Amino acid sequence: MNSKEFIINSLRENIKERFPRPEVNISHIVYPDKLKQFIEISTGVGGRAEVLGEGESIDDAVRRLFPDAGRIACNLLEVTCATYNPDYIDTPAELNGTDLVICRGIFGVCENAAVYFEQEYLQRSIYFISESLLILLPKDQLVDTMHDAYRRVPNEPPGEFRCFISGPSKTADIEQALVMGAHGARQATVLLV
Amino acid sequence: MSTTHAKAAKAFLSDKVNAEWHDKTLYMVRAKRDRLSHAIPEWEELRHTARDLKLYSNSHLPELIEEFEKNATANGCHVHYAKDAEEYCSIIEEILRNHGVHKLVKSKSMLSEECNLNPYLIEKGYEVIESDLGERILQLLNVRPSHIVMPAIHLKRETVGKLFEEKLGSQEGNSDPTYLTHQARKALRQDFLNADAAMTGGNFAVASTGEVIVCTNEGNADMGMSCQKLNICAFGIDKIIPDLESLGIFTRLLARSATGQPITTYTSHFGRPHKGGEQHFIIVDNGRSKILGMPQHHKVMNCIRCGACMNTCPVYRRSGGYSYSYFIPGPIGINLGMLHDPQKHSGNVSACSLCLSCSYVCPAMVDLGEQIYIWRQKLDGLGQANSQKKMMSKGIQFLMERPSLFHSALKMAPIANKMPRFVLYNGLNAWGKERELPHFAKQSFEAWWKQNHQKKNTK
Repeated sequence: MNSKEFIINSLRENIKERFPRPEVNISHIVYPDKLKQFIEISTGVGGRAEVLGEGESIDDAVRRLFPDAGRIACNLLEVTCATYNPDYIDTPAELNGTDLVICRGIFGVCENAAVYFEQEYLQRSIYFISESLLILLPKDQLVDTMHDAYRRVPNEPPGEFRCFISGPSKTADIEQALVMGAHGARQATVLLV
Repeated sequence: MSTTHAKAAKAFLSDKVNAEWHDKTLYMVRAKRDRLSHAIPEWEELRHTARDLKLYSNSHLPELIEEFEKNATANGCHVHYAKDAEEYCSIIEEILRNHGVHKLVKSKSMLSEECNLNPYLIEKGYEVIESDLGERILQLLNVRPSHIVMPAIHLKRETVGKLFEEKLGSQEGNSDPTYLTHQARKALRQDFLNADAAMTGGNFAVASTGEVIVCTNEGNADMGMSCQKLNICAFGIDKIIPDLESLGIFTRLLARSATGQPITTYTSHFGRPHKGGEQHFIIVDNGRSKILGMPQHHKVMNCIRCGACMNTCPVYRRSGGYSYSYFIPGPIGINLGMLHDPQKHSGNVSACSLCLSCSYVCPAMVDLGEQIYIWRQKLDGLGQANSQKKMMSKGIQFLMERPSLFHSALKMAPIANKMPRFVLYNGLNAWGKERELPHFAKQSFEAWWKQNHQKKNTK
């Protein structure tokens, strides 16, 4: 008997009662002003979210929000201020030292400022290794809670990796003192376009 | 009369300032949890649904395991099964060996603590680097976690400062948490990049998608798993949930319960291997299937390891994680320890005031306090009942069966009020330790009742 059979047999022997699947039907919070809620909660989780200014290009916004960023990674056609395309780089070590990565988010969640994205860069590490992260998110793509969020996440994983990100990387492991920038981005900004 | 827990707690409490800080800090986390959960009107509905989903998934594991394996395999991942800790360790070692790995970068996994993975691998010559900041601190100090979510909560910044000075070459005397965190960031970044493989535990394994979900604030699991192409995720069978709809429930509960955040920074879905890489999933039993067969205890398997029961527990807060003999402390640890080895861990069941606060905060509604009570009833059967307490119970029984003796004893009780302190506050009277005894009333309630009410009623 292999270990899989061992585990399955042990489960069949031990489980005495089979409980029914509950119906998941939660009457949850609905935010009347989704944009306002999303921006507020983004600050609450240590990040920031703002709407692209009228007449402002994404390049303008990048320079305004990250004036000191020198090495900027991006593969999006609408961003021309990027200094390199990470898809042409072979190893994560070469991505280290990136000041800013710009990527696309698919939708945002108003209860917790999480943004759902699917891996679009060839190197998964660019999302985490960069000092700062800028997510471009369509401002009409905001949902209230994780219930709505997971209704929008396809059951079949489309690529290697997908993730929700809410704010910057953080830790409170030393005396519960909150510090931004544990391992991932020290700053996370959502630009609502 | 002291249990192993009580004896160890005495050592923790000898540093009064630190003990008070520990208590207050964890209560602050509990208060944050309260604020966030109270802001969700449907909170109780979420808890009930989480409980029912866990009862469903844990009782349908044979099917859900098959479904997970089918989907994960279709996604190009390798699925392994480990019936116990030994097999878990050897599967991981074999994967590393087959790929010529020397250095493994690890994200936090309580399962690896449970199975003693690090010593196993280190003994075989591998370099193992913990990457969660708290876990890394503990690894450098060569000690175990004292909390499942905040593993280094018992340490002060000065200890970490000194440690980093020695191990990472940080500035002498600088114990600023921001400075120290960024020193660790700098050092660990090199480890993420120059390791040969990455490993993590898992918060949830979704049967319908074949993905493992890892929730962290630091992003250490992501750094490791994205910088390295050989990836291993190992998790207990109890982490399997049916689908994304269920994940919607659990992701709303987990971080709010754990640290009082609306969600962790990263909720990562590990689904397919890197191009040119490998993703291995290891599904571990190690006694879990047997627990599902124990009618009074199977609900422990609902636990999603948020640690809320520790933060709220008045005994945990005032005694620290190291006072418990099992590697997981607090209410959930008392239960898991008893399920693992009751002879070895019965000294923990006294670490409970039966206030049941743990049961009320548990997001998956595990009846933690109630189960501790059940374990206490079983102590005698396990040969672990305290002999002094047994003698006292017999004494009380003797008294209760003899009403006249009971009444005269009651009448004499107020004598204790006038006894000199040394008679009452000494090593023989455990109730007089660290507290003042209550004053006995001059008259018993029964006597008072008879005097004031029975007379009236008979008039």
